[in-house]
Amino acid sequence: MGIQKDMVKFNVGGRIFQTTATTIANAGRDSFFGALFDDNWDLRQQQQQPNSRQEFFIDRNPDCFAVLLDLLRTGDLYIPSNVPERLLYREAMFYGLTDHVRSAKWGPFDGNRLKLSRSVTGRAPGDGTAIRAGPDGGCCVAHGSMVHVFDWMLEEHPPINLDYQRVNDIGWINAENVLISACERLGKGDGGMGLFSSSTGDLRHKFNVVHDNQIKSFTAGALGFSPDYKIFASCKGRSNEYGIGVWDQVTGKQMDFVYESPGWYLGDADKLQWLNGSNCLLVATLFPRKDNCYISLLDFREKRMVWSWSDIGAPLTIDEKRVRDAIAMEECNSICVVNEYDDLGFIDLRINGGSVRWSSRSRLLKGKLPDEPCYPKLALHNGQLFSSMNDCISVFCGPDWVLTSRLRRSYGGSICNFSIGGDRLFALHSEENVFDVWETPPLPVI
Amino acid sequence: MSNQKKRSFQIEAFKHRVVVDPKYAERTWKIIEHAIHEIYNHNASGLSFEELYRNAYNMVLHKFGDKLYSGLVTTMSAHLKEISKSIEVAQGALFLEELNRKWNDHHKALQMIRDILMYMDRTYIPNTRKTPVHELGLNLWRDYIIHSGKIQSRLLSTLLELVHKERTGEVIDRGLMRNIIKMLMDLGSSVYQEDFEKPFLEVSAEFYKVESQKFIECCDCGDYLKKAEIRLNEEIERVAHYLDVKSEAKITNVVEKEMIANHMTRLVHMENSGLVNMLLDDKYEDLGKMYNLFKRVPNGLSMIRDVMTSHLRETGKQLVTDVESSKDPVEFVQRLLDERDKYDKIICQAFSNSKTFQNALNSSFEYFINLNSRSPEFISLFVDDKLRKGLKGVTEEDVEIILDKVMMLFRYLREKDVFEKYYKQHLAKRLLSGKTVCDDAERSLIVKLKTECGYQFTSKLEGMFTDMKTSEDTMQGFYANHPELADGPTLVVQVLTTGSWPTQATVTCNLPTEMATLCEKFRSHYLGTHTGRRLSWQTNMGTADIKATFGKGQKHELNVSTYQMCVLMLFNNYDMLSYKEIEQATEIPTSDLKRCLQSMACVKGKNVLRKEPMSKDIGTDDAFFVNDKFTSKFYKVKIGTVVAQKESEPEKLETRQRVEEDRKPQIEAAVVRIMKSRRVLDHNNVIAEVTKQLQSRFLANPTEIKKRIESLIEREFLERDSADRKVYRYLA
Repeated sequence: MGIQKDMVKFNVGGRIFQTTATTIANAGRDSFFGALFDDNWDLRQQQQQPNSRQEFFIDRNPDCFAVLLDLLRTGDLYIPSNVPERLLYREAMFYGLTDHVRSAKWGPFDGNRLKLSRSVTGRAPGDGTAIRAGPDGGCCVAHGSMVHVFDWMLEEHPPINLDYQRVNDIGWINAENVLISACERLGKGDGGMGLFSSSTGDLRHKFNVVHDNQIKSFTAGALGFSPDYKIFASCKGRSNEYGIGVWDQVTGKQMDFVYESPGWYLGDADKLQWLNGSNCLLVATLFPRKDNCYISLLDFREKRMVWSWSDIGAPLTIDEKRVRDAIAMEECNSICVVNEYDDLGFIDLRINGGSVRWSSRSRLLKGKLPDEPCYPKLALHNGQLFSSMNDCISVFCGPDWVLTSRLRRSYGGSICNFSIGGDRLFALHSEENVFDVWETPPLPVI
Repeated sequence: MSNQKKRSFQIEAFKHRVVVDPKYAERTWKIIEHAIHEIYNHNASGLSFEELYRNAYNMVLHKFGDKLYSGLVTTMSAHLKEISKSIEVAQGALFLEELNRKWNDHHKALQMIRDILMYMDRTYIPNTRKTPVHELGLNLWRDYIIHSGKIQSRLLSTLLELVHKERTGEVIDRGLMRNIIKMLMDLGSSVYQEDFEKPFLEVSAEFYKVESQKFIECCDCGDYLKKAEIRLNEEIERVAHYLDVKSEAKITNVVEKEMIANHMTRLVHMENSGLVNMLLDDKYEDLGKMYNLFKRVPNGLSMIRDVMTSHLRETGKQLVTDVESSKDPVEFVQRLLDERDKYDKIICQAFSNSKTFQNALNSSFEYFINLNSRSPEFISLFVDDKLRKGLKGVTEEDVEIILDKVMMLFRYLREKDVFEKYYKQHLAKRLLSGKTVCDDAERSLIVKLKTECGYQFTSKLEGMFTDMKTSEDTMQGFYANHPELADGPTLVVQVLTTGSWPTQATVTCNLPTEMATLCEKFRSHYLGTHTGRRLSWQTNMGTADIKATFGKGQKHELNVSTYQMCVLMLFNNYDMLSYKEIEQATEIPTSDLKRCLQSMACVKGKNVLRKEPMSKDIGTDDAFFVNDKFTSKFYKVKIGTVVAQKESEPEKLETRQRVEEDRKPQIEAAVVRIMKSRRVLDHNNVIAEVTKQLQSRFLANPTEIKKRIESLIEREFLERDSADRKVYRYLA
């Protein structure tokens, strides 16, 4: 056997570790180890004596180092019971290995392989408004006038609020910034929309609405985002300035405002969704906010509705088939809607004013509604359709939207909101202030 | 409760802070500051990376990130000020080297500092939206070094001077250049553009303006192009060696504008060496250079093309209207072909086979070939010449090449039907006299014409070939049925379908009795096998081989025309015959008879007859004898008829008239076809459609079309619209 030339010896907090330069190289250049072994840092001393190599002393916790060294060796993360997770994450931050840890913890999102990873309880009462997944695995939860922010380690950061006004919607601009839309307070210029640092909770920017060159206070409702850095929000001003506002994410300036036309509701919308293919914004105003449901596509280049659907004048027997949420599926040229019995329906986007084609799948549920029902919600991710109903979330796949999985957990009551992002699914319960984190486990060893 | 009574409590927030040594931050920062000093002083070997990293980490962790960051800015700025001074004092050529060395130092130091402050870079900086360490280091370098008053202008002038030196032939340190330019690019594209590229382009424009002026005064066009090409390549090479790739388009643009676009007209029209001279002298290399350089500037190629076109049209016009060249059709066509070959080669070799140039060539040829109304006749004569004799000993491929070239010229013709007329005549002569050299070549040309102009165009020509073939079979059948005729004179009859062949007034002459009986036998045989046909003899187109014995017993076989045969056979019975007697006996038309007598009595070496008086021309009072003294070293003697190969003026007019006459039904047919499908159409559109439909055959004359329409109205095929007189209606 030849001499192992690339052997490296560490002394971490008094414990000796021996490994190889190749293992350490897995850490990448932008890490503590990458810098340590860079040519700039003159390690000739050690190289001159190949047999009695000097060890590198690192003044850190050896137990955590052992876990992280194994992560570099195998790509797998195994945390023994004696190592607190929080401590391990802190050490990973020190070495610049957080990305390694995160990608070892959970794999790429697949709705049919999800496992409940954690349930997080907060101190607020139930009745959460919204939960939104962040791009890097964190999330934020809105309760009344407060938004609690959690990073990917599910550590809570300082909460954020906009003048303690009721929060209507939240959204992640990027891993660093969260947007809040809130009600205005009568007589004051409070509320509206604000951009906050997700890590410190500082207010970074407050968005204005300008009507006739005058800054007006307003209530911001549902939020939407487009990939070309635009923010959309449904807005209600005091003097009937109802409509959809558009802002630039980079400059924070208002770019556009589309007023709603009589008999059609935009400013009270429950949901905004940007459609990349058709360059339009879906605006859905639903029962019970209004007596009827209004779904439309707005084209901002022409400033008009290019597609619309409403259930005004539909037969009365449909009170069991009220649309409670809607989501556009551009690949299928349709809009998927759901009623309170978890029936899915589809509206053709190519026909203006077409009707809903219901797929009456789950009549079984009828008659055994829970005491405090929650309105169902829809989400679309990588061709999989998610629909929440009571305390479970159904996963549908394929061109015919076959039910393939159910995510259920009994604690906390009905699911009032859920969100997918950062390869995680977050589900917020209504009775207790608890949210579940669902992850796709890393692929098996063999 | 009233507001006044309200007491405001001031509740102190509970300070929940770990008490750290108040001097902790200061002390830790000192360690890091010291390390930064050591790094800049090349003294880093004594530093412990782990200790520094941990200290920087701790500072951020304990919320001293602000101090760490501002300390970094201050320390680095101080070092850069020092560096700036040391660069400023560097003298002459050392300036750039010093700048480069210090840049390398700074870059390395920056890398190490970033390593130490990695944790700050990852956590503190994004949270506070500050500039990351690496970018900060570059920005500070830009502000303190590159944009320092004493360095900025000096750096620019040094760089530009080096480029100028290289342009004037000196060798410079390209490696150093590359490093400095790379530094400017690393500082951001705006720095490179503002601090170097923009002034560089301005200076270059000035340089090339002066140089191009100098060159154009003293060089001829070819030399100038050579120099411009060299300069262009030099600039491209310079970009490859030490500039940003994005600069290539910009600097070549400058050279193109200054050296080519600004002097384009002058170059093309340069006396004794401009484009026209290059074309005349076949200077492929210079032409190629011109093409490649002019291609780079707007309107460059169109200028070359326009000059070439006008030159080509001018020379072509001279060629086709030249009276001398019209005398020899073969030479005329050959010169056209040569001209085309010449330009084909130029376009292929120098103009990279560009489509637009080929189009210009074609349109020019089309323009001037049609200037001479006899071009169709000449081209047909050229083919005739080639097929009669020109193709002997030439391989099949070469034949194809020649025919293809002829087809090329044919394509340019506007009056393709005129060509067809002549071609038919010439083909008929070739076939009947058995003069065609190669049947394959004939057929190949027919196929080419067919692909070019369609089935209709060649159906009659093909009919002629079929007639020849059937006649052969008929003759075999005739002799098989009449074995008793084997001993007598042999008759070869070619039965021609009326309509397929060029029509000629049929004046049958009196055949010698031997022949007349033979012909009668054939007639009864032919009409016996085919019903409902009529045969008439075309004695003006036949040939005969006759055996003759002269005074001293010399025997010859004479190859003569049918007319000549008739005349000669008379001398079997008489020694002397007067012109009048011959005319009476044979009934050959006067002009033909004169011609055939002339060829037998007045041509030296072929004078089988003797004439009295001995003169060049045939008079009506002349007397003819058998020339007993006739000798020839050949056994077979071919006696040609004196024929004008080229058409004479009256013949030409006649052909012309026939062509015009033939066009009338074609125009009418086209009008009816169009009106039948459109039902209603106005005059201008009818003219346009008809012209379009017929252009593969000839260019229809609008007044002629109008006449034809009038005629159709008279015959009630069409009517004028009652509301709009310019609109025609089709009457079914």
